[in-house]
Amino acid sequence: MKTVEKVVNPFERAGERSPGRIYDEKLKVRARREWRGVKDTFYDYTRWLYLMSVLGRFILVPRNVKGFFRYRWMMSYLFVPHGMDKFTIGLRDEALRIAHTSFNFVIADVTQAIANCFRGDRRVGNDTAYSDKCVITDENSMVTFMMGFDTKKVHTILREVPTMFASNIFHQFNVMHYLDIAQQYGIPGDVCPMPEAEAGISIEDDFCVLGCCAVQNNTTCDGSLMGNGIIAKRLEREYGIPTFQLATPLRHKEPDVLDYAAQEIKNAIAFVEEHTGERWSWDTYFAAAKRVNDATRCRIAQMEINSTPYPQFFGAAFSLYNDTNYMGNSGRNADFVKIDHKLLKLAEEGYKAKRMYAKEYRHRAIVWGVQPQYVIDMLYWMVQCWGVVPLTDMLSVINTDMIAEEDTPENREQAYRDMAMLNMEMIMRNHTHGGYKVLLDELWDLCEKMNADVVMMWEHMSCKALTGMHGMFEEQGRERGIHIMWVSHDLCDPRVFTRQAIRDQVNNYMRTVMREEPLDPSLENIPDNEAY
Amino acid sequence: MRDLKHLTYFEKLLQEANNALVKQAKEDGKICVAYTCENVPEPLLNLGDCVSIRLTAPNTGSIDIATYYMTNLLCEPSRALLERAIEGGFNFADCVITPDGCTMMNRAVENMELLQTMGKGNPRFFHEYMEIAFKNTENDVDLAVLQCTNHILKPLRENYGVDVSDEAIRKSVAAHNRLCRVIRAIGEFRREAKPRITGYEFHVLCLASYVCPKYLILDRLEETLEELKTREPDEKPWRARVLLVGSEVDDSGLIKLIEEQGAFVCCDRFCFGSYPGRTEIALKDGEDALRQVCRHYIQNCQCPRMMNQEKVYGRKAYVAELAKEYHADGIIYEQVKFCDPWAYERTLGSAMLANDYGYPVLSVDRPYNIASSSGQMRTRVQAFVESIEIKTIQRGGKA
Amino acid sequence: MKNFLLSLAVKLLLVVLGFFAVTFTVYFFNLDMKATALLAPWLEKWYDRLERKQYI
Repeated sequence: MKTVEKVVNPFERAGERSPGRIYDEKLKVRARREWRGVKDTFYDYTRWLYLMSVLGRFILVPRNVKGFFRYRWMMSYLFVPHGMDKFTIGLRDEALRIAHTSFNFVIADVTQAIANCFRGDRRVGNDTAYSDKCVITDENSMVTFMMGFDTKKVHTILREVPTMFASNIFHQFNVMHYLDIAQQYGIPGDVCPMPEAEAGISIEDDFCVLGCCAVQNNTTCDGSLMGNGIIAKRLEREYGIPTFQLATPLRHKEPDVLDYAAQEIKNAIAFVEEHTGERWSWDTYFAAAKRVNDATRCRIAQMEINSTPYPQFFGAAFSLYNDTNYMGNSGRNADFVKIDHKLLKLAEEGYKAKRMYAKEYRHRAIVWGVQPQYVIDMLYWMVQCWGVVPLTDMLSVINTDMIAEEDTPENREQAYRDMAMLNMEMIMRNHTHGGYKVLLDELWDLCEKMNADVVMMWEHMSCKALTGMHGMFEEQGRERGIHIMWVSHDLCDPRVFTRQAIRDQVNNYMRTVMREEPLDPSLENIPDNEAY
Repeated sequence: MRDLKHLTYFEKLLQEANNALVKQAKEDGKICVAYTCENVPEPLLNLGDCVSIRLTAPNTGSIDIATYYMTNLLCEPSRALLERAIEGGFNFADCVITPDGCTMMNRAVENMELLQTMGKGNPRFFHEYMEIAFKNTENDVDLAVLQCTNHILKPLRENYGVDVSDEAIRKSVAAHNRLCRVIRAIGEFRREAKPRITGYEFHVLCLASYVCPKYLILDRLEETLEELKTREPDEKPWRARVLLVGSEVDDSGLIKLIEEQGAFVCCDRFCFGSYPGRTEIALKDGEDALRQVCRHYIQNCQCPRMMNQEKVYGRKAYVAELAKEYHADGIIYEQVKFCDPWAYERTLGSAMLANDYGYPVLSVDRPYNIASSSGQMRTRVQAFVESIEIKTIQRGGKA
Repeated sequence: MKNFLLSLAVKLLLVVLGFFAVTFTVYFFNLDMKATALLAPWLEKWYDRLERKQYI
């Protein structure tokens, strides 16, 4: 089997040596926060104050209070600081700053998204003038088709992000209610729980109701495509919100689907123009395209750093930040540019200073598959408990090509193709769809490029596109001498695999196959199965 | 009723994928084009010396090896097909054309390709994957034309020298329409108050039309149609008439099981059934036959993955229309276990058919091979039949 | 004037120190999340009681 050189941390970790000890089974939250030494504890404390101020400012708006008591999923956001603690477990120095910088920005973005939802919501804010300029899109939606609309005039509302996706990160049990509703109405329990939960939210009438129109798409999977039918029915028939289905080809590597995809983008833009009354602006589009390219360059640079013995920006913060920036933003918000560069600067400083997340790195892993929402901190746990450093995750391995950014007549036509390409190569589906090569061959290429000896395979049991290649991963990994460490989960339903059951799969592999002992035994068993 | 003369013959053909007629076609020098999804235009797979053979895995037992490759969470048909391919059951195929329709079936074929289960010793063997339309717009027709050109016509011409001209397509459509006419005409007898064909018998004939070379079964099908015209129906009435909607039914045992409970399967609206699968293709002059064929498939498609709302609601209206035309008392929405598209379609369809159209609906999931779990299905159907009878009595009718 | 400024600075310092002492205690001992965890069951009951138009 392939082996990699062990890298030992030249620095002693300040403060708490065994962060696993701060969990308390009875409390459902941590007994206390982590002591990270004076400097980093103070930094973490100031970021906590910042988070509290974000949440405080949100709740001071009366309509947000009304929304809080109307929507069950809002309860999750009480646990945002608890969630942030998950992202920063054991982190110090640049790593701590990277996690806070990226994730605090994501939290502020989600908070704004909730505030926007409540503002236009017919049941809460009922600001009809605002709502009439809102376009609802899916949670797993590239919003490239909105890149040419002025963000001050047309508002893109990724309604399912705060309702389901983000809320599940902060409160592992909060989606179960909606899954139960969906199953009560006949959707089987074996489909992907994410679109199923979204369908459950719609059945329960627990989505905000706003917008002049909605754009749905088929970007992720069969389940996601089909769940949209249920959601659209309520949107159109009960609330009178017209929906457009943006069809996105699955075989995105084939050149003979690009014209179709580009035409679909044109149709989606025309639909938005028709319903919002606003016109598409090429100036706005190409300004956004420049920012998309800038973000791409930053991401490539981060990946290059991660290919070295001292990777800096990885794990949940990397993945969720990329999700938000690449997919939910698509160059529309200029604030992301500053954050991109700040993150890159921090990563470069960390690399120069040889900062590490654990006292040694024994293995270098590519994380493939889809991560579970309710154990979002798993990769930080894995590096600190076992010294397996996650170099990148599948969701962060996205487009690296530059798109046209100068406004010329030829580039305007090219722009539709660029938007189509980005849309087709959306997070996750750029590997789970498009034929086996993007799932298998690209993984092995990545192992080679990033010098990985382990593939940590998230086996999301309801993701049929991934599990359908189970045997091939095994066989081809074996041929290449790469360890395939399977970790099964059910994405956002913790009843199937608890958090510890998920960690135990790594524990067992490391002990029985690798014959290794943990770097930090306090982390091997954490009593957080019942924690939020 | 008196047994149909050729029923046993057709039943035998359904016992294995590489059946006697497939073997005969190979001996006749035909090119066996294997496929797995109803969304692939069948006439294009029957051009010149090509014969389309839909892959099935009759009498599926253990699917352990396929389960290793694809886990136990993928739908049973996809695993059953992979298992059969690994066993060598599809070695007759000269090529496999697969649309990226449902993910699981696509993965099954990709595994077949990676494991090189077929095409040994045939340098011209190929696998092709197609993008399939999601909506019924002209943009989707454009896509379908391009996909059929690049992934069906071009490889067939280049690898096997098949004539893919407009004339050849029209000829193939004519033969396809002949088959559709026969199957539909046979199915028409199911409308009768005292039907002279059972749902089971019809299913055997219809399924055979997908898994056998058409040119070898047409005569017998037409003979069966003639036979039916004078067949005396049973006097004993059925307890209920049901329309069966859902995933592919490769196991006629399911229809038999339903009918054994007294529910006559008066119409079929499932993948590889007669609705919409055996609808004639009307070609006009003045437009490419290929484009017309593609448009026909897109406009008539009732696949759950068609995602625009016109299609989503249209599918339910189509089921309601069939139920009305075939005088169904109730509708059974079935889904082969782990099939994502039909899992959602079944849920929404059963709710809309009950609430918006007023039909009693049974919504069930089932195994690929019904023999592996017949007891549960029997109980569900029995209860459904009784509930229909009770409703009839409550409405003042006679059960 | 000098005394006033000094006293203001001392008061400000005391306020800042007091704010720091209280918030840091809440932060370090995770009192914010402990209080939230106590509140959560009540909220769940609240949401359970809300009437919703549930259908597919």
